[in-house]
Amino acid sequence: MRHRAIYFALALVLCAWVLLPILLLTILAFTERQAIFAWPKGLWPEHFSLETMSFFFGVQGVWRALRNSVLVALLTVVFALALGAPAGYALARYRFPGKDAYRVMILITRAFPLMILAVPLAVRFIDLGLYDTPWAVALVHTALALPFAALITSSIFLGIPRELEEAAWTLGCTRLQAFVKLVLPLALPGLVATAIFAFVISWNEVFAATILTLRERTLTAYLLTVLPDSPLPFRFAGGFFLIVPALVFIFAIRRYLFTLWGIANR
Amino acid sequence: MAEIRVEGISKLFGTVKALDDVALVVEDQEFVVLLGPSGCGKTTLLRIIAGLESATAGTVHIGGRDVSRLPPRSRRISMVFQNYAVFPHLTVFENVAFGLRMQKMNKPEITPRVQQAAELMHIESLLKRYPSQLSGGQRQRVAVARALAVEPEVLLMDEPLSNLDALLRLEMRAELKRLLQGTGTTTLYVTHDQVEAMSLADRIAVMRDGRIVQYDVPLTVYGHPADIFVGGFIGNPPMNFLRLAAQRPAGNGGRPESIARMGELALPAPDTGLDTLVLGLRPEDLEVLQAPAPDAFSAEVQVVEPLGPHLLLTLVASDQPLKVTAPPDLHLRPDDTVWLRPLPKRLRWMNPETGAAIAPTSSA
Repeated sequence: MRHRAIYFALALVLCAWVLLPILLLTILAFTERQAIFAWPKGLWPEHFSLETMSFFFGVQGVWRALRNSVLVALLTVVFALALGAPAGYALARYRFPGKDAYRVMILITRAFPLMILAVPLAVRFIDLGLYDTPWAVALVHTALALPFAALITSSIFLGIPRELEEAAWTLGCTRLQAFVKLVLPLALPGLVATAIFAFVISWNEVFAATILTLRERTLTAYLLTVLPDSPLPFRFAGGFFLIVPALVFIFAIRRYLFTLWGIANR
Repeated sequence: MAEIRVEGISKLFGTVKALDDVALVVEDQEFVVLLGPSGCGKTTLLRIIAGLESATAGTVHIGGRDVSRLPPRSRRISMVFQNYAVFPHLTVFENVAFGLRMQKMNKPEITPRVQQAAELMHIESLLKRYPSQLSGGQRQRVAVARALAVEPEVLLMDEPLSNLDALLRLEMRAELKRLLQGTGTTTLYVTHDQVEAMSLADRIAVMRDGRIVQYDVPLTVYGHPADIFVGGFIGNPPMNFLRLAAQRPAGNGGRPESIARMGELALPAPDTGLDTLVLGLRPEDLEVLQAPAPDAFSAEVQVVEPLGPHLLLTLVASDQPLKVTAPPDLHLRPDDTVWLRPLPKRLRWMNPETGAAIAPTSSA
């Protein structure tokens, strides 16, 4: 009985730890400016207002940063899936020498510190004329998302029995037709989840985005540079806007994250 | 309609030889069963014929065409898989129609073909359902209907009944036999179940360690096993193998015959120059007597199992265990002594060193 009480208390503290800031952020992003400075605060505001949000979007550069963020994230999704899904398929379906080593290598790339790469990358991108474009940021974000994309998709493809493809081959399909007619529809929910995951990784990334851009900032990079000099309401609105998409997406694909970290170690 | 001709097929997995120079001919419209214990290479052979696996050496001809280098879709085969491999995101109708759609057949032609295949397998009422709403037996019916709908030249089946429960398996077995007798499709069927093989096959190819050890009609495989392995693998309970001392009697005038002794019984045996011979006897090839007889040997009853249609006796004769079936009305208890009379025409002699059957001598 006592253990149960302790367990619940701990759980409650942990939930509050995570949820309270989000709650405050959300409330303050949708109240009037005066309410932000009011003290003491109620847990629930008396009336909502879009004043803070509209102020936030009225600031010069926000829309552009938002557009860049979305563009970079979408490019990351396309690159990560285009490169990661075939790798995942190969890991799931084929035996080849060094397969286990390859799988470990994919994970190890995540351990490589981005800081060390950032400066040489910036120089290289300047040479290539990619510096300060969404393409440059998307390429780096693809590198970050690719290991997850390959591993998640490999577990998705593993979950689709090989015999289904073989049956399709014997019934007249080429390998590509069998993939399009069978594997793709069956893998689609998982592939969508992978895409969302890649989107969130890109959306939240700030370091590479800051180093590799000057004017074409993504939202995270833009906020990081302007937040210290911004008024409080602006900070709340910006924080809200950064957190919410990530939260919604993570919630939508949590089942697939469990597969990645739980069952999919084969 | 086509014959399958397999020549010199070998398959290496790394250094493991899964198939070793296999040759096999399945005649047009024939039903051949590949039978063997797990790991004998039977499924690998089937997959090579289907084109799902590539052989290290050898050729496959189907209907006179060399298909060795062709992908599965160009081999005019269809295949039924052990785990059914029914497409979960398509209805039963679309599953059965899948192969026809791939052949770019017109819609008005597809529907009657699907109907016909569905009627053969008694799944007409399930056409609108999805596989997840079906039982295992129904899914297997869908898989067979899908394979038959394309009217293949050759039907390949990989242990199609092994995932079904015993009663359903019995029912599907008879149904498959009826069906394939009707269509006359050349069929190659893989199983490890010797009863299935006996009941379905026109001919059985018994495989062991990547080789075909015997290829013949079921009754010959049962009655004249090529070696000790085949005799022990086919039949339930398996063939008894007794080791008998053999000697060539003085002055038998050059007749190719020796005498083998089992207890008090002396049997004429082929003369091979070996001191010991193995005698293979099916449990039903011994007559159980309760009194001594000149052409019988004595044995001690150890276990009596009444199975209904007959008794299954476990006995010991000259320190060698054997199993014999007896009429159910025989009253026997453990430790009783009985006399066993082997039926003279059912004696199968084997070489104890190689395990191979010794061909009956011409005089016998």
